[in-house]
Amino acid sequence: MNVRSNYSAVIDSVVSTKYWALNWAGIGRFGLRHSPFPIWSHMRQYPWLRALLKANELHGRMTKTRTGVYREANAFLIHHIIESIVKMLEGWFRSPDRSVLHEDLVPPELFYGMGLNPWMVEFLGIMLPMVQPDHVEPYIDVAEDEGIPPDVCSLPKSTVGMVLQDHMPKSAALVTSNMPCDGGMSQYTLIERHLKIPAFRLDVPFHFYGERAVEYFARQLRRLVEFLETHTPAKMDWDRLREVCEERNLAMAYEYDLWDLLQYKPAPLAAEPVYLSHLMFGIAQPGTTRATLVFKKMAELAEKNASAGKGALDDEKVRVALWNPPTLIFTDLWTWAEQKYGAALIMDMLTYHRHPFIDTSTPESMLRGLAQTMMQGPMARHTRGPAENFFSDLFHLYERFDLDTIWMAGHIGCKNTQALNGMFREQCRKRSIPLLIIDYDLSDTRVVSPAGIRNQVAQFMETVM
Amino acid sequence: MGPERHPDPSRLPTIFAEIADDDFHPLIEEELDKGTIPIGTTCSYIPESLLSVDGLWPIRIRGGDTRGTPMADTYLSNVLCSYVRSVLEQVLEGRMEHLRGWVFAASCDHTRRLYDNLVYLSPPEFVHMVDVPHKRDAEAVAWMARELKELARKLSDAFEVDTGDVALTTAINQCNEVLGMLAEIGRTRKHVQPPISGTVFHQMMVASMTLPKKVLLPALKEVLAITHKTPDEHRHRARLLVMGSQLDDYRLIQLIESLGGLVVADRFCTGSIPGLKRVEFDDDPWVSLAFHSLNRMSCPRMMGDFAGRLEEVVRTAEDFRVDGVVLQIMKFCDLWGVESSAMTQALRERSIPVLRLEREAAWAGEGQIRTRVQAFLESIAK
Repeated sequence: MNVRSNYSAVIDSVVSTKYWALNWAGIGRFGLRHSPFPIWSHMRQYPWLRALLKANELHGRMTKTRTGVYREANAFLIHHIIESIVKMLEGWFRSPDRSVLHEDLVPPELFYGMGLNPWMVEFLGIMLPMVQPDHVEPYIDVAEDEGIPPDVCSLPKSTVGMVLQDHMPKSAALVTSNMPCDGGMSQYTLIERHLKIPAFRLDVPFHFYGERAVEYFARQLRRLVEFLETHTPAKMDWDRLREVCEERNLAMAYEYDLWDLLQYKPAPLAAEPVYLSHLMFGIAQPGTTRATLVFKKMAELAEKNASAGKGALDDEKVRVALWNPPTLIFTDLWTWAEQKYGAALIMDMLTYHRHPFIDTSTPESMLRGLAQTMMQGPMARHTRGPAENFFSDLFHLYERFDLDTIWMAGHIGCKNTQALNGMFREQCRKRSIPLLIIDYDLSDTRVVSPAGIRNQVAQFMETVM
Repeated sequence: MGPERHPDPSRLPTIFAEIADDDFHPLIEEELDKGTIPIGTTCSYIPESLLSVDGLWPIRIRGGDTRGTPMADTYLSNVLCSYVRSVLEQVLEGRMEHLRGWVFAASCDHTRRLYDNLVYLSPPEFVHMVDVPHKRDAEAVAWMARELKELARKLSDAFEVDTGDVALTTAINQCNEVLGMLAEIGRTRKHVQPPISGTVFHQMMVASMTLPKKVLLPALKEVLAITHKTPDEHRHRARLLVMGSQLDDYRLIQLIESLGGLVVADRFCTGSIPGLKRVEFDDDPWVSLAFHSLNRMSCPRMMGDFAGRLEEVVRTAEDFRVDGVVLQIMKFCDLWGVESSAMTQALRERSIPVLRLEREAAWAGEGQIRTRVQAFLESIAK
């Protein structure tokens, strides 16, 4: 037993070291491909580049307490996230005239089809607190100093702060929408005014199910293509878009395989391989070969554990659904909860949204498929409404994955979900579901610190579960 | 509150002030007794004329004189705007039982969640959500026209009222008449010595959103006659434009005017600029109404229209010769909260003094508001 245990520990170390080295190699290759002066100059102009150099710390935090397949899945995932960021940076360094800023729920497939480099405006506001929890707080202060009220969601505030500080990558155009909330939508007034670049806005109807909404939205996507062809040097290549959409479909099929395997008890994978993989490759960068590669690998690793009857956790005691976006300022929540309580995150709100596969037979069918994808996206469907979407999906996945509790990441700035907490509590009581509402702020540790989050979870686990 | 110097209230019909003071004025009971069907709305993107067809009667729900919103906060939380919390509180207190139905616009996050919680806690006999686009182009107008037809069909089914083209055209004409009169009265505020105060004008606006339009016609004609004949003598320290969030309580304007400001223009959804535009008929009354609904007023929920809103404010400031702008926003309103940052900056860039005020839906915080308005007037008064 000891021999086997020692052998596993050695393998785990090898896996960690391998990906740690690969991560630095990826970052190093990026440095070598560019002369030092532009990189040095960019680092002065965009201080967050220095924070991203700490990305390997994320690797350390996500792997150190995990073992076996679970560790490998995390290491593989973080490695590909780093590689993706490097690729995004390269596109932006090389050709800002072909770079397009887009709001986080505008899927980038159309941009890939046109050979453009998409840069999600909120990307840094999401990634930086994961690497360094307090990193975006100065940006939040800048936005509040500019007059944005403190009660507005801190993600738009950090994004606006970054723009106002001229820390957002320069781009040729801006594409946004009325998603996912009023704060997120209206921040683009300030962003557009400051950046002074052409902007296109997509309007997702409230009643987004149904043919009329699909037609309405697909026509807007058609006009978006025309807009991008006018304001960038790019032209739509429908064959290229077909490849992108097929890639997305393939990745989605692998992800659905992964979800099937997550129904096993114990779950063969949990936490980051579920939620972070989707955040990065299902929302930020879908339709890429790397996204497919990651979901394929996650499904394969889950299958490997499942066929051996193993769980991601040695002793899975509590299966958790996380509702609302993940706690960006405290991504160690899951490594801690796994160790302390055997609590495994099985599924979360941003991940669980089921799209139809995109019909790639014609340009129109692709636009319609992309329209459905966006309109039924995670926050579009859950946090914006109507309320039945929020509850029906949640209680469906609670049953499907045979969960034990729901943890609501009660981001104080998310008024959409704050306004459902009363109903939420009553609905959970009616179903005898233990519910934890974590009071905190998505991007600001000064509101509730990571220790404060940990205390709330600890009190819940020790008094309720 | 200091003495109101302007105008002489004894010369004006009292009905407007009475209704602005009383959500349950006897005239409202009279209308209920007549069998008129009251439908509550919470947003200006719902066309009043559609809710005025064949015995229907739109009532713009006010924030009310709630002394706190403890029950509503349990469900909506205390970080939603106090208007929607006040509305839910009134429902839970049973103060909205005279309404036969509710029509919402999917205008903002807060209103959408008010709808969700209302349906969950106290399902109305009739409730409908109009999916108002965030744009105003031709496709959006077509979408809105379909939405309005759908609403009309449901109203017709629920209340057995005629919502056909002829009935709609009649209702639009009636609303146009009242809007036209209010607009004419509103234009007199451009005068160097406006015949009526901002307080009185706002009371008229609130009354017009509370009672059936035709009920107010005689009183409006009376006011119109007065405003044409006798400009009032009064003193003021500064002419002001009030803009921002929905405002249904005249006491904010009254406070400003008690301190020496004169509110000559009101650019908010329950105000007159540009909300009193008439519906212009095209071939199809539904398309005309949809176009009017999307274009009469641009709230920050309309995407990509900041420049239009700014220009309208600047133009209004020039037309009405204002000395400064009071940008009042409802606490926790994300749309106005973010927009006010850009708007304040843009107006200051044009050398227009701005006071940005946060307030609650119900009248509260008078002391702080008074101090801030006094300081603003000190800084801009001639």
